[in-house]
Amino acid sequence: MLSAGKSLCSLLKNKYVLVLVIAFFSLITTVSAQEDVSCYHCHTKVVSEFRNNIHYQKGFTCEDCHGGSTQPNATVISYTVMSGDFIGRPTRANITNVCSKCHSQEAKDYKKSIHWEQIAKGHPEAATCTDCHGIHEIRAISDPNSSSNHQNSPATCAKCHSNKEMMSAWYYGIKTDRFDTYKESFHWRALDKGYTLVATCADCHGNHNTKSHKDPESTTYPDNLPGTCGKANCHPDIKFDAKIAAGLVHDKESLHTGELVFNKSGMNPRMRDYFLGPFDLAYWIAIFFKILTTGVIGIFAGMVFLDFLSRLKIHRRW
Amino acid sequence: MSRQKLLEVSESNETGDSTMGEVFFKRFTFNQLAQHWVMIGTFMLLVVSGMPLKFPDAWWSPVIINFLGGFGMRTQIHHAAGIGMVLLGIYHVVYHVFVDKESLLERNVWPTLKDAKDFWQTILFYFGKAEHPRFGRYSWKEKFDYWGAFWGMVMLCVTGLVMLFPFAAMEYIPYAYVHLATIVHTDEALLATLFIFIVHWWNVHYSPEVFPMSKAWITGNLSEEQMKHEHPLEYEEVMRQMQERDERLN
Repeated sequence: MLSAGKSLCSLLKNKYVLVLVIAFFSLITTVSAQEDVSCYHCHTKVVSEFRNNIHYQKGFTCEDCHGGSTQPNATVISYTVMSGDFIGRPTRANITNVCSKCHSQEAKDYKKSIHWEQIAKGHPEAATCTDCHGIHEIRAISDPNSSSNHQNSPATCAKCHSNKEMMSAWYYGIKTDRFDTYKESFHWRALDKGYTLVATCADCHGNHNTKSHKDPESTTYPDNLPGTCGKANCHPDIKFDAKIAAGLVHDKESLHTGELVFNKSGMNPRMRDYFLGPFDLAYWIAIFFKILTTGVIGIFAGMVFLDFLSRLKIHRRW
Repeated sequence: MSRQKLLEVSESNETGDSTMGEVFFKRFTFNQLAQHWVMIGTFMLLVVSGMPLKFPDAWWSPVIINFLGGFGMRTQIHHAAGIGMVLLGIYHVVYHVFVDKESLLERNVWPTLKDAKDFWQTILFYFGKAEHPRFGRYSWKEKFDYWGAFWGMVMLCVTGLVMLFPFAAMEYIPYAYVHLATIVHTDEALLATLFIFIVHWWNVHYSPEVFPMSKAWITGNLSEEQMKHEHPLEYEEVMRQMQERDERLN
């Protein structure tokens, strides 16, 4: 040990090494000083996420959402942080109030949505700001890593809408195949392969003020579909009429489940036309091609095989 | 096509050689060959650019799409080749129905009762129960190839145009039928692809009889030996006509 200490001392006498060591420690100190979010000392993970937050980059701090008073650069957080208007973790019903302090228009739009309608009814698990935008890691919408980015919209909505337990709650009863049926569209197939100029969930269903397709004000209400599909950046200058509404974009049950909807009594006329017409047809067409393809290819591949065998038996056929 | 055109004798250029040159039998006109070449080109482009979309979850799907230069490029290739194939189909029908002078009903391409018999006899032959059937100008396999491609072209071109111009199509049909077009298009395309790659390529490429390939698709000709083997009835018919003509001339 003595010799080790001795060699360390002699090493530090070398001024280049000394300069390096000093530079190293001063760098560490500078970096540490930039940990200006004082909550970091305890809420390490949360603050790390917050550093990716667009609000952090614009100079907002914890207290802007959580209230209370933090002293920047304090090394020890005192319990006085949790004084005054400190709200801690807002309840799900209250999250909107926190965001609306700045984003008043968005909050106003959101309060017209079916999501807020459910929260107001006392079902707090319905989507609120943080479910789509993230909690501490809220990124700019234009950021490709943002959960609210156009191309991430399907995965973000699917978090809840493909969740069977959540959607089958007796007061929802919403189908959980929305993402799966969307996956059969050209929109998704293009998006999945990196072509992002296509419609994702929010483009048709709206974002903050999304409504049930049964609501006449909804962008997906049948009568409003021509306007929704014909948006300026999507399919403009195309004549739409009721025919666009005669197909339900997501509803391909007969194909999807492989079951025919035989009992069509009690359906509304549009749905009945729909299932009596093209969509039962879709089922039969799929069956027809299954039989045709396996039949033709089976018979002819069998012939190829027999042809091959016959050549093993006889050198020449004729 | 008149019978005289079927026989092309290419005489040996070498002087002093008294033996007759090799005899070739005209199988396809240049027009037909060119149609087949365009068909090969557009078909392969369509398969390569279309199958990644039929099976979007397969591991090779993004590989092929990236190879083609991204999804947008894949779509443009598919649309361009598709329009090429539609034009080919229109040309084929217009040429062989309106321009070609041969009577429609007298063509060898129509299926006949003999084809059904030949089909059965071929199966019996495979099990060693019968002689191999003797084919005329077109065997039942070739007729099936042709009409299969014909049916496939009609289905794929119509549904493809509906999908290429969905909003124009929606002037006449509901959206749901546009969606049906995607099912018909992709399922029919899969059938066509499997048939070409397995059955057609066996007949013209892999089969030991022609391996590595029958050159008829390049030259349009069959050798005398091939002719005797593959189309003996046609061979005999041509030979009989030759003889008649010779007798008449003499």
